[in-house]
Amino acid sequence: MLSTPEEKNKQPLLNQRRRMLLTIVIALLFLLSVVLGGLFLDEGRIATNLNERNVPPSFDHLFGTDWLGRDMFTRTIMGLSLSIGVGLLGATGSALIALVLGMTAASMGRVADRVISWIIDLFLSVPHLVTLILIAFTLGGGFKGIVIGLMLTHWPSLARVVRAEVLQVRSAEYVQMSKQMGKPRWWIALHHILPHISPQILIGFMLLFPHVILHEAAVTFLGLGLSPHEPAIGIILSESMKYLSSGMWWLAFFPGLCLLIVVRTFDQIGEYLRTLIDPTRAHE
Amino acid sequence: MNRKIVGIGLLTVLIFAILLAGCTQSDSDQADDATNDSEENNKDELVLAFGSEPETGFDPTTGWGRYGSPLFQSTLLKRDDDLQIVNDLATDYEADGEVWTVTLRDDVTFSDGEPLTAEDVVFTFETAMDNGSVVDLNSIDKVEAVDEYTVKFTLEQPQSTFVNALVATGIVPKHAYTEDYAENPIGSGPFQLVQWDKGQQLIVEANPEYYDTEPHFKRITFLFLSEDASFAAAQAGEVDMAYIPAAFSNQEVPGMKLEAIETVDNRGIVFPFAESGKVTEDGLPIGNDVTADAAIRQAINIAVDRQALVDGVLEGYGTPAYTSVDGLPWWNPDTVVEDADMDRARELLEEAGWEDTDGDGILEKDGLKAEFSLYYLASDAIRQSLAISAADMVEPLGIKINVEGGSWDVIGQHMYSSAVLLGWGSHDPHEMYNIYGSDNAGVDYYNTGYYENETVDAYFEQALAASSEEEAIEFWKKAQWDGETGLSAQGDAAWAWLVNIDHLYLVKDNLDIGEQRIHVHGHGWPATDNIVDWKWSN
Repeated sequence: MLSTPEEKNKQPLLNQRRRMLLTIVIALLFLLSVVLGGLFLDEGRIATNLNERNVPPSFDHLFGTDWLGRDMFTRTIMGLSLSIGVGLLGATGSALIALVLGMTAASMGRVADRVISWIIDLFLSVPHLVTLILIAFTLGGGFKGIVIGLMLTHWPSLARVVRAEVLQVRSAEYVQMSKQMGKPRWWIALHHILPHISPQILIGFMLLFPHVILHEAAVTFLGLGLSPHEPAIGIILSESMKYLSSGMWWLAFFPGLCLLIVVRTFDQIGEYLRTLIDPTRAHE
Repeated sequence: MNRKIVGIGLLTVLIFAILLAGCTQSDSDQADDATNDSEENNKDELVLAFGSEPETGFDPTTGWGRYGSPLFQSTLLKRDDDLQIVNDLATDYEADGEVWTVTLRDDVTFSDGEPLTAEDVVFTFETAMDNGSVVDLNSIDKVEAVDEYTVKFTLEQPQSTFVNALVATGIVPKHAYTEDYAENPIGSGPFQLVQWDKGQQLIVEANPEYYDTEPHFKRITFLFLSEDASFAAAQAGEVDMAYIPAAFSNQEVPGMKLEAIETVDNRGIVFPFAESGKVTEDGLPIGNDVTADAAIRQAINIAVDRQALVDGVLEGYGTPAYTSVDGLPWWNPDTVVEDADMDRARELLEEAGWEDTDGDGILEKDGLKAEFSLYYLASDAIRQSLAISAADMVEPLGIKINVEGGSWDVIGQHMYSSAVLLGWGSHDPHEMYNIYGSDNAGVDYYNTGYYENETVDAYFEQALAASSEEEAIEFWKKAQWDGETGLSAQGDAAWAWLVNIDHLYLVKDNLDIGEQRIHVHGHGWPATDNIVDWKWSN
């Protein structure tokens, strides 16, 4: 875009596009530091210390300590890191299921389409927190139960988007042409359709992420997820409920706030990516 | 679009505000009613908030009344405030080897007016034996009524602890024992059932036919509330007594005092005693090579700082535990070990050949790492805290305990091959035989570690064969520690007992709950042991 020097001076240093990119980079760095922090923080800092129980926030313990004298800052970071890990696995699994089912529905004929659409409707008709609790419970809880539960419950809406996209691309002329030239279905799917829908998948994946993390926290909060001594954010929050009435606000406040920030960051990244990649929204 | 969202938001907030206002309004009304009620009827009514409901009902032949008073039934014998055995329904009893003869009072009637006779006693014990429930009556060969008021028990072999079966088993009426007896109990106890709303409350009234001291309170309501709700109810003045967890103990409630009652409600770590390799009939692995080493078990026993656990986890409301029977007449005080002594624990480990050869902070011996799992009941916050704290306390020694939370099902899968945090506590010395006797290895939650020591087993045999409890006490003590060997931390250290948990009750200032005995395991109910003696103090 050409512009006169005057106009250029009026423009802020960063245009909207650059600002978005910068935000995304900063947000990613923040998330990365949380994950790395969780991985490399010393396990010893969450060892119990019965002499320093229930200490309010200070410089030694930024987020205070809990009723066993464990440092809440370390526990929170480890919990977030664990939650992000679980979220990553869950969202990846869900996105993969959505991709496979969406593609199959749209390109493998009528019967497949009907069956898959029916399954999508079935899953969408029940709130997925309920299905999640059911699956996690049947699998006996724990890390495995919760990850599989998350994978199996968060795909339907993304699958529907993928299916619609594929249907659209399939009717495009070059795909028709390719078909006429005798290319097999899977070849078309792989070479023509998949590249076209990858932005949708990526954005869908990013937007699933905060969802998955919140649901992981919700299920562990209810006690169906990980073992209660592990530093998962849902567990930390659920424990802190018991101590709220005795005035220990820092047990719930900081971890809750951190969860909120992390989830919001993911959400923001997803939104910006969508604005940047999705052509229909690029002008917004 | 945005305006619409704001509009919806405002509407939601408004509706919420109205709903909330509505709720608080009605709540406070109810609270007012309740307080008025309790003030008016202060004289002979009582409202108690206990956490745990006896879900299986009130049938003594399936276990009701083991903790606390059976309320509706009475027992042949009972323990007084000093835990000595005294007569209740019985006027006399006599043990002669395998044969126990009990003579009954002849003036006792059930609450429906029918007399209580030897037939009912025979019926009760026979039913309990057939039920094969938690009431352990395996040792009975037969029960006979000699005449209308004399019962003869014939045991398979002499057993001094049989007297506890007579203390714990409430007598049910033969003529009124039906399918739903557990929900409609009729008995000869101080109270009779008025109403039981499952999951909510139990209302009882004084039994006019009761033969002994009439209880001061004519009507008692037990509310089954969660811990938070109990505390809230106490704050609102709706209950006269509430069972609360230690976490709430530092908060004052106006008009109520905190009663901390000593217990044998203990928690400890049971170690697999056997070496690994075998499996149970169901294919579950037995034993653990790390904890099979006596040095490891003793080092942990010496290294844990029990007082710190009491102060830290129980807010000071508890006592350090050294055996499963601390403070009871058959406890051997020599079992107390000097704990929180890291240096001695290290010495012990070193003597036994444990050494950190690869510098990772964990000891090794012959290629075996000093590492094992410790399971605890995930839903129990105190067990969780104890497990984590204890594991952290022994870590500096170089013993790594991996803490795992789980449900009873999960624990059941691992309890023979991993350490478990369990709790016991009873007024029956037989419990010690249950959890340490080699005959009980792998039976239910008894002796999960497959502990076995011939000398200890021999003492148990002698204690059981003794003709009376007094005579047996010497052998119970020797089983714990006889100067050379024993089941306690001085000897084999099959368990690392950690703490006895005080039972905490918030009690109205002017309510006198009498002299409480050392409480047993169980949430709330043990306090009812002497409920007949409770009264207002002014």
